[in-house]
Amino acid sequence: MIVPFAHVLVVSAVMFVLGLGAVLLRRNLILILIGVEIMLNGVGLALVGASALWQRADGQVLVVFLMALTAAEVAISLAMVVAMKRRKGSLDADVFRDLRG
Amino acid sequence: MSLAELFSLLPVLVLAGASLLVLMLGLWLKHLPSLVALGVAACAAAGALAVLVPPEVMEVGGMFSAARYARFFLVLWAGVVAWTLLSSVRYAAARRFQPGEWVSLLLFAGAGMALLSAATSLVGMFLGLEAFTLVLYILIAFHRGSAAGTEAGLKYLVLGVTATAVLAFGVALVYASAGTFHLPEAMAGVAGDSPLRPLGLLGWGMLLVAIGFKVSLVPFHLWTPDVYQGAPAPVAGLLAAGSKGAMFSAVVGLLAGIGLGLRDLTPVLWALSGLSMLLGTLAALRQENVKRMLAYSSVVHMGFVLMGLLDAGPEGQEAVVFYLVFYALVSLGAFGVLTAFSGEEGEPQQLAAFRGAGYRHPFLAAALAVFMLALAGVPPTGGFMAKLGVFAAAIRAGHLPLALVGVLASLVSLVYYLKLVIAMYMSAEGAPPSGSPLHRGTRLEAACVGVCLLGVLLLGLAPGALLDWIGSLL
Repeated sequence: MIVPFAHVLVVSAVMFVLGLGAVLLRRNLILILIGVEIMLNGVGLALVGASALWQRADGQVLVVFLMALTAAEVAISLAMVVAMKRRKGSLDADVFRDLRG
Repeated sequence: MSLAELFSLLPVLVLAGASLLVLMLGLWLKHLPSLVALGVAACAAAGALAVLVPPEVMEVGGMFSAARYARFFLVLWAGVVAWTLLSSVRYAAARRFQPGEWVSLLLFAGAGMALLSAATSLVGMFLGLEAFTLVLYILIAFHRGSAAGTEAGLKYLVLGVTATAVLAFGVALVYASAGTFHLPEAMAGVAGDSPLRPLGLLGWGMLLVAIGFKVSLVPFHLWTPDVYQGAPAPVAGLLAAGSKGAMFSAVVGLLAGIGLGLRDLTPVLWALSGLSMLLGTLAALRQENVKRMLAYSSVVHMGFVLMGLLDAGPEGQEAVVFYLVFYALVSLGAFGVLTAFSGEEGEPQQLAAFRGAGYRHPFLAAALAVFMLALAGVPPTGGFMAKLGVFAAAIRAGHLPLALVGVLASLVSLVYYLKLVIAMYMSAEGAPPSGSPLHRGTRLEAACVGVCLLGVLLLGLAPGALLDWIGSLL
């Protein structure tokens, strides 16, 4: 490997943490979902790196699965965001507080 | 993947194939009962294939097992899905659920849960888990007229996809440390002295976080009450019975291979279990909403199951699987009664809505009372035997204080379970006229509830048969 595995891991961890930060700090639903995408892309990078480290292909296969999964997730979450936007007229995560007890 | 491997996976393929077929048929056929009949037939066929046709290979693609343990859970989840389909016919029709999509999604959830229970590699676990989690996002928000349902779906979705990302990162780290996804070997990366061991441990920690979220252990339980309250009652039942049970059945396999590594995990599991039992109990005491109470009660019960896992020997696993079967039956039953009580609009949720139900709906109310006593662990219901098993497992593993916390949580739990029983039987006066009256339930719904009632009582009166059976699977 030209790039040491440690560097790949650091970059992917940074991406993961940045995404998690977006999920926790942003209040706009779309930006929260983008944060999750960044987290998952960090995961993909780590998998590709690990798969190069061990010289095996199965890690890269999981990355392809991960892409398909992300696409399905986005389809569902955007549909739900549209439904909520129609109902509440807002994308702010804080307006959804009807359920409590 | 060879033909023999596909053949070994046949029961799951039947479920998934039927799901696609129903989805296509649903475009033309809008008659819910016939699609439900098709779905139930598919579940029965999958179950029969799993029992009658022995698999040709024991492991498919290095990802899914076809052994008896996996087949046992496949039959259980197919049964859970068939039960949910049958008991929710009137509920779904009254709310104008799209028939094809409703049946198809439930079948697909069953296929996903069966795959998760059969997973022998981290990839298999990840795919099985996501297959039914993605379906649950839709099912929770399925009632488009319900604001609470959409909100619950969105909350589960945002937290769920974050948990998925954490799970995936955990999988990636374990893979980086061990070089394989296959479970027994992936464990070796943690147990050994390799320089990558810290990565592996971090990965296992992240896996635990994601698992804790899926089965709602404290402190990852925050979504549970909102989702239970907002989700349609049949879906909440499926979530409680199936999704948590499937996750735990996979965790049994995870921890079975860990061997010495369990020592390092024990303090974490101990804390998660104790916190779930204590905080879940405290929160459940305050609830006036039956669905929220059941949500916190499920947090407590998942703490009990985790306690059983501390004993990694076959007896501990037996206790855990017995608990999962019992919990699936009793939570299906409890949510089945709520489904039967639901009218055209809305569901009875507040305790006040159940006032006097014992006199007006004798069978359903009596069944609900038995389910509550079973959840509290009163003999001679299955709950007593299930709790006895996990307490004994914890004591065998040398965790007497944790078992005492569990006993205490069980005793206190009587208070909140009896609140509902008292509301139903205390006075013959009906609920305040402001709420909608309880529906009397159809014969089919009563029969479905009756099956669960029978199961819960049988598990208490004659637990030996199931225990022996489970013992032969492990």
